[in-house]
Amino acid sequence: MPVGPLGLDPLFWAPLRLIIAVALALFLVLNGALLQIYLERKIQAIIQDRLGPYHVGPFGLLQTFADAIKLIAKEDVRARATDPWFFLAAPALVFCPMLASWVVLPFAQDIVGVDLNIGLLYLTTLGSMTVLGIVIAGWASNNKYALVGGLRSAGQLISYEIPQILALVSVALVVGSLSMIDITRSQAGPLVNVFVLPFSFLIYFIAALAETNRTPFDLPEAESELVAGWLTEYSGMRWGTMLALSEYGNVTVVSSIVTTLWFGGWQGPGVDAIPLLGVLWFTLKVYGVIVVMMWIRATLPRLRIDQLMTFCWLGLIPLALLNIMVVAVLALAFPDTKIPIALASWLLVIAFIAGVPFVQRRRLALLRARASASAVRAAS
Amino acid sequence: MTVPLGAYIAVSVGLFFIGCAGVLVRRNAVVILMCVELMLNAANLALVAFSRRFGAVDQRGSVFVIFVFVIAAAEVAVGLAIVLSAYRNRPVIDVDEIHQMKG
Amino acid sequence: MSFDFVEPVVFAVLAFGVIGAGAAVVLLDRITASALLMALTFLCMAGMFVLLGAETIAAFQVLIYVGAITVLILFGVQFTKQGGDRSYALFFQKQYPLAAALVAAVAIPVALFAFSFTAPAPPPGGGDIRPLATSVFTDYAFAFEVASVLLLAAMVGAIVLTTRDERAEAARRRK
Repeated sequence: MPVGPLGLDPLFWAPLRLIIAVALALFLVLNGALLQIYLERKIQAIIQDRLGPYHVGPFGLLQTFADAIKLIAKEDVRARATDPWFFLAAPALVFCPMLASWVVLPFAQDIVGVDLNIGLLYLTTLGSMTVLGIVIAGWASNNKYALVGGLRSAGQLISYEIPQILALVSVALVVGSLSMIDITRSQAGPLVNVFVLPFSFLIYFIAALAETNRTPFDLPEAESELVAGWLTEYSGMRWGTMLALSEYGNVTVVSSIVTTLWFGGWQGPGVDAIPLLGVLWFTLKVYGVIVVMMWIRATLPRLRIDQLMTFCWLGLIPLALLNIMVVAVLALAFPDTKIPIALASWLLVIAFIAGVPFVQRRRLALLRARASASAVRAAS
Repeated sequence: MTVPLGAYIAVSVGLFFIGCAGVLVRRNAVVILMCVELMLNAANLALVAFSRRFGAVDQRGSVFVIFVFVIAAAEVAVGLAIVLSAYRNRPVIDVDEIHQMKG
Repeated sequence: MSFDFVEPVVFAVLAFGVIGAGAAVVLLDRITASALLMALTFLCMAGMFVLLGAETIAAFQVLIYVGAITVLILFGVQFTKQGGDRSYALFFQKQYPLAAALVAAVAIPVALFAFSFTAPAPPPGGGDIRPLATSVFTDYAFAFEVASVLLLAAMVGAIVLTTRDERAEAARRRK
């Protein structure tokens, strides 16, 4: 049983430790969301050749504080016919799985909540629980647009879970463990996994963009589609919880998974001497991935729901299955070295990127043929 | 003082009978599917409890549970598909009313 | 001061959750509430799996049941709106004391018999994922393949059952 600092009795220290851990996780989530909202607005502004927030505080750093205070002070508007229990429960259902995923993220060598030996499985499990909250939010709003938006969002989320999990499985195949600490330790020095499994990284990154509802897959929360979809009836801090905190918390968790699996986690120069430096490297790498996600958001247009689903089921899933097959066969055939796997993965990446124009040309020809056929049928 | 194995089995039995009663009592086809899931869960609990007690080396009961998960998922998918296509034919969800084989 | 009281307390809370939520699934009139309480039953069940030391099974339980099956049932609930007065079959509306007595007459002796089992052995260390994976992929590999064929058949069947034949329906409507 854990004895607390200054010899505190375990009976007090065990629950106190739990409370401190949850408070720390909440603190990280809130501050992370604050920082990311500011970063998002500044980065979009820079890419779009304008200024972004600069009025409130130096360089506009306090802008998000002002927004948060405004959200908390807003009137709690609830439509009359919304279901009393479920309307209030839905933000909690969306937020809690995200908060619970922070417990396995490895910030440094010994700084991890719990080193679960099924860490990766635990993260995917919690990712799948968010769908429930979204469906309930859409249904409880008693609003046709919210209901359809919720079902659409649920469809998108459960579809993109599959390539996400398949990409993670391929990494687990190479590393041989699901524990986040083991996966980080298996990447020695500068030869991190992105050189060994870049195709899995690509698949996971795209699927993770869809899982966290980031552009180009942000159809469910876009304001021009279905009147903001499943969160139409939510305003004030309820909206703040579900959208800002949950989404940016999810983005941080997903970026942490990417950092741990493909970029070496907390490793960097000087970590052996000062273990606490690992937190700095981890945070820098996670925010590097987050900045890339924001860059993608400012650059690419949105996909329609049918384009989204077609891309998942007819594009990502076959590629993810091909990836697992190749990695599994090569890992069994050459168990000591990672070079064949790396070669095959890089070849797949090059084939994927080079094959895009061919696929696009064929689909365009198909659409043209279908359009001319229906025009002929309408004319006759 | 650890929890005796019998307590887990008692919970499994209780949940199984609740699910069984639900299948017999309720009229809505989707609720009947939900109660079938409850029964499958009760069976899973009994399997895992016995597996941890008697087969702790190779976890054969837990392997069986994985296959029960697979079968339960497949059954819910096909069951809902059947219910939805019957509903599309005639918009009744009450199983007492779906008693005509024609039309 | 030892922490031995934690496990029975956690088990009692989870058992209450499982049985209470299960009873609520059967007894409540609103189907959406039933569906969400079913998800709560699954979550408490996953907690019991963790207590038994089978954390991989607990993770699969949440992933499959709460993450997928509950969402599927919610979709099904929303596509089929129920009407009607009472949710229970007519026999049990009138004779529910008889029904309850029947269920209790079988369930209570079985539950009492269940308590005669002795205490479980402590779970082996290292978690259960390695023995589980070894068993599934070596001893039961054939069953694993058959299960995947079953899932494929279920997927194809569900799609075929619910596909609308647009042209046939339009032709039928035009007639």
